[in-house]
Amino acid sequence: MNCDLRDGNGRGAQDRPCVRNSRFTIHYSPFTIHHSLFTIILLVTCSRLAGSLVTALAIATAVGGHGAENVVRYEASHESMGTVYTVAVYGRDRTFLSEVVEEVFEEVDRLDEQMSNYKPESELSAINREAASHPVVVEPGLFHLLEISVGRSKETDGAFDITVGPLMKSWGFFRGRGRLPSRAEISQVLKRVGYQHLKLDAERRTIRFDKEGVEIDLGGIAKGYAVDRAVEILRSNGITSALVSSGMSSIYALGSPPGEHGWKITVRAPYDARKAGDVFRLQNYSLSTSGSYEKFLRIGGKNYCHIMDPHTGWPVENMLSTAVLAPTGTDTDGRSAGFFVMGVERSRKYLSVHPNLAVVFYLPSGAPPEYKRVMLRSDSYSIPADSIVEIDR
Amino acid sequence: MENERDVTRRDFLKTAAAVAAASALPSVGAPAILANPSPNNVVNYGMIGTGTEGCTLLKFLATIAEGRCIATCDIYPPNLKKGVETIGSNPQTYEDYRKMLERKDLDAVMVVTPLNLHAQMVLDALSAGKHVFVEKTMYFKEDEEDKIRKASEEHPKQALQVGLQRRSSLLYQVAIEMIRKGAVGKVMFVRANWHRNSNWRRPVPDPKFERLLNWRMYKEYSGGLFAELASHQLDVANWAIGAEPVSVVATGGIDYWKDGREVCDNIQAIYEYPGGQKFLWSGVLYNEHFQFEEEIMGDQGTLIITLGKGMFYRERVAKVSKAGLKENWWAGATVAKAATQEGIPIFPEHAGNGEAAFVDRELLYAKRWLASMGIYKYEEPHDPWWSEMSNFLASVREGKPVVAPLEIGVADAQGVIYGNRAVETGQKVFWPKKA
Repeated sequence: MNCDLRDGNGRGAQDRPCVRNSRFTIHYSPFTIHHSLFTIILLVTCSRLAGSLVTALAIATAVGGHGAENVVRYEASHESMGTVYTVAVYGRDRTFLSEVVEEVFEEVDRLDEQMSNYKPESELSAINREAASHPVVVEPGLFHLLEISVGRSKETDGAFDITVGPLMKSWGFFRGRGRLPSRAEISQVLKRVGYQHLKLDAERRTIRFDKEGVEIDLGGIAKGYAVDRAVEILRSNGITSALVSSGMSSIYALGSPPGEHGWKITVRAPYDARKAGDVFRLQNYSLSTSGSYEKFLRIGGKNYCHIMDPHTGWPVENMLSTAVLAPTGTDTDGRSAGFFVMGVERSRKYLSVHPNLAVVFYLPSGAPPEYKRVMLRSDSYSIPADSIVEIDR
Repeated sequence: MENERDVTRRDFLKTAAAVAAASALPSVGAPAILANPSPNNVVNYGMIGTGTEGCTLLKFLATIAEGRCIATCDIYPPNLKKGVETIGSNPQTYEDYRKMLERKDLDAVMVVTPLNLHAQMVLDALSAGKHVFVEKTMYFKEDEEDKIRKASEEHPKQALQVGLQRRSSLLYQVAIEMIRKGAVGKVMFVRANWHRNSNWRRPVPDPKFERLLNWRMYKEYSGGLFAELASHQLDVANWAIGAEPVSVVATGGIDYWKDGREVCDNIQAIYEYPGGQKFLWSGVLYNEHFQFEEEIMGDQGTLIITLGKGMFYRERVAKVSKAGLKENWWAGATVAKAATQEGIPIFPEHAGNGEAAFVDRELLYAKRWLASMGIYKYEEPHDPWWSEMSNFLASVREGKPVVAPLEIGVADAQGVIYGNRAVETGQKVFWPKKA
């Protein structure tokens, strides 16, 4: 089925079944999915025509009015923030494209130098060392990200929390080997976890911790933020067709490839990286994923994923992966783990008051490789006129 | 990015395993049929030269049931005694290898003597109807190539193998297969070093034995660092690039160990290949920080390899293409690293043909992970010297092609001879045009 996540009038009803369009063939993946459990809340609108027009405009801009035969595709990858950033960009001048992409990577490296909690010399590490003893002045960009992060924590009632670092260390997900901490240890560590311990002063642009041992880990949002910075750089250089990926977990589709209707992005199936979970067509939109397959511990025959529930101190269970669609990388990256922690029902409540988000949950169902999908969308949902957000399964 | 083009960590490791599984490697997992060979199918061999290298080979040969050492030869009595003790099979001892070659019950010989003696001993052994293993470098003087080639052609049923043991290393074989399958793209540069911090001398109980025991120091017998060290790595470069050099520039000197030696204690050389590829070699005897390794660089990645350890690093590659590519990007955070900075261990071990037990597969994965962190050191199922000897004996017994045949030995020897000529003349030396 081919569905459009657009809701032109900004209204939407959850759990509305996707309307099947007979023009499209349904391609089921080879694995079994509990279709009866699908709750798809999408509308099919007339956006296909609008999307095509936008794509055509984007191509025309990318090539400066020249024919598509002059367009060059340039793709490069760069390791930073413990992952791989990849940029694919279309334009006319290979040298210019390479320079722009290099500028993108320099910016990503700058953010890594600033926000890494692996590097003792980073600004974030300095904050972690000093903020418990005195307010620390923060660079404007980082301060803005901290504000967004704390806002997300409040919105999600702490399901997303950038102070979860000590828990990660307890479980051995930070530079260590996995281990099962005792309940007493988790209880102790939890005293140092919680966004409430972060005191931001917007006027002075400072941060202070109200407790010793609090640590900030931006791993759940910094990559999406970096993707947004990359897109800003691309746009400021006149690029209108590009894809930016942070380790394939946070992606932004800028414009569409020449002659294409959005960027085709396949979200992997939760149990098999080679099989498709969902296929999206995106233009001027972002997608992020969180998955229990990324990092996990196996202790006593049981798998523990790397995404912690900051309330319990234990890895989240009964969730395989989430994929979030929103207008920016900061929107998606900073939410995919939060949705992962909240699960379907809490997320449903969240989406009733937070607009313009779409989430796909991949949940366990029977023995692997079987799973079920649940797709939710904000009650108030609209996408920008120049965006394409379609699902094509 | 097209996902199917992407060499992920798992894909790469699977490739390594597949290569290991697919390679016909006589040294891996000695077949049961060879474990107890019939007495009539055992190769009777003799070792010519039982110094340090000869005894190294004998140590491994002593564990290979497919061969029986019936003769050893050395003109230095302590070495002769050491050889007998090492092999433990009570071989007949000789001071004159010609006498040893007269034995009708001798199937094969190993020539492990000073370099200047190699060619004549190989010629005599082939003429005596023996299969021959000759340590690298295969020959000393340029004009010896034709003599050995002619003798080999006159005795086509006799094996002639050159002692370049990296050719028998499973790790190297897998690395080369990976290169052939495009893991590093087009190989354009190989850099290798063999650095030691020692005088490279053998202890001499009496000054009269100086030239006998320290033959490597004297040009009358030795090709110096080129022949004894660079030859192994030049062979790897030839193997990886898939060609032989066309020229070499080199410089070196006796700048540190001014102890009467005639060969350089440091050499830097650049070999050039027909496609413009370069092999940069460095050998020094006053610093061992970098020890020895080979770095094989292509436009898609790098392999860093030495005996017992191999790592693959993917190149950060910018791909430029015309528009029209079908874009299909995969999301799902499965690519945490592209191995551009942290390498992926080359791990030839494989868990069978896909039917390995779950525990075996998990153990293998765990070992790879530990290897990537430097905690676990990969060890080949057999030492490459063992494999080299085993391969040779298998070739003798079964008539199979040898692992390092004449042409490989010739290419290697030419590199040694022309490298030394480049140092001595200060000129760029070109390979002779092939007929």
